[in-house]
Amino acid sequence: MLVMGEVRTGLLQNSGEIPESLCQGVLGLLSGERVRISRRPIVYAVSPDQLTGVDCRLASAARARVRGVGTVLSRASVTGGRVLQGSSHIQVARAEADHRLSWSHYLARPGVVEVFGKMRVPDLADGFADSGAWNDCLDLGSVSERFMDAVQASPLLDRKAPFRSARTRLRWVAVAEEPGREGPGIRFTLGRDRVRTLRLVLPDGFTPDVVDFCEDLALHDWLLTTLLVIVERARVGTATRAEVTAKLAPAVDHLLHLWMPAARLDDGFAPLWEALERRPGFSRQWQSLVARVRDQIAINTLALLREAGGW
Amino acid sequence: MLVFAISDKGGTGRSVTSSNIVYRRALQGSDVCYLDFDFGSPTAGAIFSVSSAARGTIQGGMHGYFEGRIADPHRIDIWAETDREGLRAKPPGAGQMVLFPGDEGGGEFSTVSEEMLRRCVRLFTRLEEEFDLCLVDLSAGRSFAAQMALAATARLPGVPFRWLVFHRWTRQHIIAAHGLVRGRQGLLAAGVEHGHDEETLADHIRFVRTAVLEPDAAELEGLRETQKAWLNECDRELRELARRYGVGRTSMLGKIPLDPVLQWREQLISDEDVLSSQIANAETVAAFDDLAKKIVDDSAWEAL
Repeated sequence: MLVMGEVRTGLLQNSGEIPESLCQGVLGLLSGERVRISRRPIVYAVSPDQLTGVDCRLASAARARVRGVGTVLSRASVTGGRVLQGSSHIQVARAEADHRLSWSHYLARPGVVEVFGKMRVPDLADGFADSGAWNDCLDLGSVSERFMDAVQASPLLDRKAPFRSARTRLRWVAVAEEPGREGPGIRFTLGRDRVRTLRLVLPDGFTPDVVDFCEDLALHDWLLTTLLVIVERARVGTATRAEVTAKLAPAVDHLLHLWMPAARLDDGFAPLWEALERRPGFSRQWQSLVARVRDQIAINTLALLREAGGW
Repeated sequence: MLVFAISDKGGTGRSVTSSNIVYRRALQGSDVCYLDFDFGSPTAGAIFSVSSAARGTIQGGMHGYFEGRIADPHRIDIWAETDREGLRAKPPGAGQMVLFPGDEGGGEFSTVSEEMLRRCVRLFTRLEEEFDLCLVDLSAGRSFAAQMALAATARLPGVPFRWLVFHRWTRQHIIAAHGLVRGRQGLLAAGVEHGHDEETLADHIRFVRTAVLEPDAAELEGLRETQKAWLNECDRELRELARRYGVGRTSMLGKIPLDPVLQWREQLISDEDVLSSQIANAETVAAFDDLAKKIVDDSAWEAL
């Protein structure tokens, strides 16, 4: 078993969060089907699945020429009316024929890409995890971003985002547990240029919940990355209190309430999140940043009160 | 915000001035990027002292992106990759500074296809998400890159944009700058063809004078009185000419004094160059700083 995907996460280009009623219009651009919305514990809207036909090279760590034909399964989602994600993945399988079949064959297997010849799982997994943005192999990130771009271009959005932020890229690879070769269940790595890689070893095989998990992790990694930048730019201790507060305000307005790790996930994924909470310790770092933001704002409020002579 | 830097003639110091504006803006805390749209001679890497991209990159730059060979153009984090020691440490509070270099051996385009235009719109939209200021350095004269910029911004009504026209403070340059904006096939005429409103577009264009020698400058102390009088007269004539051609004070965003360092070293001027080695003039840095602020200051861009 080999499943790989890439999730890109960014800020929805609108001045405020969009209400649930707009999600349908914003995400429905992609197809005539309905947008799915769940409301608790946070509003989450997801587009219908999209298929992209591909016939191209797959990245290989050994630089072998591996050709894959099939379809990429993608979707776009908006969390809390504020954070946009584009997510694509494929399941890699060995082709039974030695030539390309008619597209109806591949369309009947959504999200499956068949490779010709011998399929070496570790080679393809390593190749995908390490692939740069500019080789001529299958680039799931670009497919994801295309759907994000379609959402961002919606006339329903005012394009006046409250702050600038870069999109993050989470590239993930899931393989089956092999008897006798015990690997870690989960490995998360921060790379250059906002690339993160996630390696999963799944004892129970692949289910669509794995994609949910990767998207949830990508969302929280983006929140943490973005808040870190905002706090760094605020120059706490150097800039004046008023400047610091002005820089931190967008975080309070738009980000702090979105942190809900594993909120929509199947219970089976709890151990994976727990592993990430131990190391690198997502929530620990988030809580400490949030406390710092709130303390700074509290101190500024006190200073203002004192100036006004009311305290 | 998208800012397009253009000049009618070469040698105006367009690239070196825009690079310094980007650098000052980053120091002021904004996230900035610099896009090298001078496809024929991509040299922005040299100005930022990134030797791997001194004559463009070989890793898929702007040219390759527009040709559709790559999905994302190569990006260079200048703070991390510059060869200049003094620039390598990003000061606290400074923003991102990213260079999107051209391709080594890229060459000018001979046409703008619909596909290239779509790619341009997508690139501008994505960069607008990430950067406060995207400076697009166009080549000198009327180019397909400039056409593409006009066409793309016409399709992006929600994305603010501004144009800077660079010219030297000489008779020929003043007339040429006027022609580039208002002449036949100038920016305004071409903009209208692509769907811009002429008056609105004109409000988004300002001039930047480069290599300006002020008659009261300290460098001119040693001149004879007759020479000074003559210089004053020339300057007065140029001001009159500029006013007649619509390139006068009201449409000017800033001016950069003549500084030997800019002429000979075509690089970023750091505070160190002014303070410790003292090879650059403080006035030059002040002019860059001022321009970097005015570019995003709406009051400097009120309708004329």
